[in-house]
Amino acid sequence: MVSQYGIKLAAYLISSSYGDFCSKVCECLLSRGTLTLAQIIRFTELSRENVINCLRVLIHQNCVQAFSIQQEVAFGEAPKIVTQYMALFDNTIHKMRFPKFMQIVSEELGKDCLGIFEGLLQHGRLSLNQIIDRNMQTPDNSDVHAVRESFSRLLNARFVERCPAPEPFLAPPEEETPAKKRGRWTSLDLWDLIGLAPILHIAEAPKTIEQRALATASPMESIRFLMEIDTLRGTSEEKGMESHDIATLEEKWKQDFSDAELSSSGKKKEILWRVNFEEFVRRLRHKACIEYVRIRLSDQAGIVLSAILELTRSSETRLKTDKSASMSINDIYDEVIKKDGGLGMDLERVRASLVQLGCQIPTTGIDETYSIDLKNIIELAQNEEVESVVLKRYGREAYRIFRLLSKSGRLLETDKISDTTFVEKKDTLKILYKLWKDGYLHMEKVSVNGPKQTLFLLWEVDKESLWVRVLDEMYHAALNLRLRITYEQDQEKEILQLPTEKLVGELEKRYKRLRKVRIILESSLMNLDDALMLFHDF
Amino acid sequence: MAFRGRGRGRGGFGGGGFRAAKQEPFELYPELEDLGTAEYSNRNLQLIKWYSNLQKYWNSSPYYYEGGSERTRNVQKPDVERLSDKDLQVANSKPPLWHFIKLDIDHIPAELARGEKKEKRGIKRVRWNQESDLHKLDLFEKLEQKHQGEEGKENKENEDQEEDDEKNEEEAEEEFSDEGDYEQNEYFDDDEDDYNMGDDNDDEPFF
Repeated sequence: MVSQYGIKLAAYLISSSYGDFCSKVCECLLSRGTLTLAQIIRFTELSRENVINCLRVLIHQNCVQAFSIQQEVAFGEAPKIVTQYMALFDNTIHKMRFPKFMQIVSEELGKDCLGIFEGLLQHGRLSLNQIIDRNMQTPDNSDVHAVRESFSRLLNARFVERCPAPEPFLAPPEEETPAKKRGRWTSLDLWDLIGLAPILHIAEAPKTIEQRALATASPMESIRFLMEIDTLRGTSEEKGMESHDIATLEEKWKQDFSDAELSSSGKKKEILWRVNFEEFVRRLRHKACIEYVRIRLSDQAGIVLSAILELTRSSETRLKTDKSASMSINDIYDEVIKKDGGLGMDLERVRASLVQLGCQIPTTGIDETYSIDLKNIIELAQNEEVESVVLKRYGREAYRIFRLLSKSGRLLETDKISDTTFVEKKDTLKILYKLWKDGYLHMEKVSVNGPKQTLFLLWEVDKESLWVRVLDEMYHAALNLRLRITYEQDQEKEILQLPTEKLVGELEKRYKRLRKVRIILESSLMNLDDALMLFHDF
Repeated sequence: MAFRGRGRGRGGFGGGGFRAAKQEPFELYPELEDLGTAEYSNRNLQLIKWYSNLQKYWNSSPYYYEGGSERTRNVQKPDVERLSDKDLQVANSKPPLWHFIKLDIDHIPAELARGEKKEKRGIKRVRWNQESDLHKLDLFEKLEQKHQGEEGKENKENEDQEEDDEKNEEEAEEEFSDEGDYEQNEYFDDDEDDYNMGDDNDDEPFF
C-alpha cells in the first residue's frame, strides 16, 4: 500500500494533467486497492460513462493496468470472469520526472528522437503509424524513413518498449499438495525476512495478485524491443540478428506472432509503444551512484564507476540490482580512457579507484574481474540523506546520537549512548525522547529484577519504518511545492498574459519576481525528486 | 480539508494550559520572506520549460477529461453572437478521445472497448498540435486590440513558425464551411417576385 501523502501527490498530479474526474478514479484505486468497474462507480459516485472514459484515459497514459480473473463463486455455478483495475503508482509519480527523461534522450540521441519521445510522453501510447502521422504535422517534419530510423534508435537504446497486454487473464493458482505449497510459500517469506527480494521471473509465481498481473501483462523479453516483422526484410537493426538466420527466424516468428498478434477480426493488430520507464530509472540510479561516489570519494572513482556501469548496463535484468556484473580490468580500462578526464589514468590508478569503491584486488591474478556493490552505495546515500535531515531539525548532538544508533544497528542503552557521544545524560534523554516521539527511533523498556529494580531504556533506529516515514514526508513536501508553484502562477496570471512590451515598472518587477520564484521552487522540486527516487525507486 | 484548516487555527489549545489560545488566522499560503532572495541557477531552465509545455499540452488535449459525453460540450454562448465567435468554438472544441485512443478490443479491456463502427466514420484529420491553436487564438485577440507583432509568452521562438503553418491550414479548413454559407445565399432563388411580376403584367390591359 502506498503511504498517505504518496496517494495525495499522485492524485494531484493526475488532476493537474487530466482533470478532476480522472483524479478521483485514480485516488479511489490507490486508496482502496484493485477494484472492478462496478466498485469504482460505486465508490467514486461518478456516472458510468465518466468512469469508463477516465479509465480509458488512465490506461492509455499507463497509470492503470487491467486484468481479468476468475471469480470464486458458489458451488455449482459456472465460474465468472471479472475485469479488475489496478493503479500504477510508480508510473503516475514518474510524470514529475518526464523532463529528466527528456534530457537523457536529448543528450544521448539528439533532437529528432526527442521529438518522437515527447509525443510518446504526451500521449502515453502510440503506434508507429501514429508517430509518423504526428511527425508530419510538426514544423520540421522529416520523411517516413527518417522517422523510422529515429524510432529504431530509441528502441535500440531501450528507451521505448511494447505496451503490456490490455487485459491478461490470470489463471487461478495451480492446485498443489498442501505440503508442497506450504514449502514454497515459507521459502518466499523467509527471503522477505532476510530482506532479499525474490527474483521475479515470469515462470515463478510472485506473491501478490498485482505482481502476477504485471508479470503476465508485460511482453516477453524477446519481443519487448522488437519492431514488426515487416521491417526485418529491409533493415536488420534489431539486436541479436544474424543474417543467415533471418529467413528461418522470420518463419518461426511469423508463426508465433500469428497466434499472438492476430486480433479477433483476423487482421494483424497494431502494436502500441510506450516509454520504458525502467530504463530511465536505471540510468538515473546509475547517475545518482556516480554522483555520490564522485563527491564522497574522488573524481577518478566516479569516472571508473561510470565506465563500469556503462558496460554492464545492458546486462542488468532487474531494476534494483545489488551488484553490477563482473568486468575484467582490461575492459574497464578501455572504457575509462574513453571518458572525459579518464585519459590520464593508468591501470594502477584504476585499481586504486576500485579499492576505494570497495572491491578487493585478487592476489592470484590471471582473471582479474571486479563488480561493484551498488546496493551499498545507495544505502550510504540514503543514510546520509536522513542524517542531514536530523542535523537540520534537531541539531548537532542529535545528529551524533542518530549516527551512532544508525551505524550500530542494534539496541543501545541510554547511558552507553551518552558516554559514546559525549553528550550530557539528561540532554541525551531529551533528544532521544524527541526523536522517538517523531518516529525516528524505536524504544524498548527493559526492567531488570535484581537487588534494585532498574528500568533500562534501549533505543535503536528501525530503518524499515523510518524510511517509509521519510518517504511520506518527502511526498508531502513535493505536493506542497507543486501547490505553491500553481498558487504563485495563479496570483500573477494577468501578468503572464501580457506581451513583453507592456511589462514596465511595477509590472516588470512582478514578472521578474514571479520568474525567479518559479525557477527556485521548480529547482527545489527537482532536487527533492532526486531524493524521492533515492528512497523509492533505487 | 477545511476541517483541518480550522483545527490549525486553534493551534495553541492543546498545549496544556487553561489560558485562552491565541487565535491566529490560518494562511494556506503564508508569505515566504526569503523566497525572492534565495540563490538559484539556470541549469534547470530547460527542464522547467519542458515540464511547462507538457502540462499545457495535457490541459488542452482531450485527455483532460471534463466529463459529459464525448460530443463537444456547448461553450457558453455570449449574448450577442459575433462572427469571430465561430473561431472561438472551432479552436476550443477538443477532438474526441477516440482520435487518439484506440478503443478496440485489442488495445483496451473488453468492457471499456467500443465497437469499430464509429471509427470507420473516418478521422478527417487528427490534430496533434492543439496548443499552437490556442496560442494562435490569444494572438488574434491581441492583434485585434493592439496591432502589434506576434509575441508568445514563454515559447516565442518556437511557436512563431508553428503558428504560421497552423494558421494556413486552419484557414484553409475554415474557408470550406464559410464558402458553404455564402454559396447558399447566392443560389437562393426568390421565385415569389417573378410570380408577382407575371401577374401584374397580365392584369394590365394590352395596348
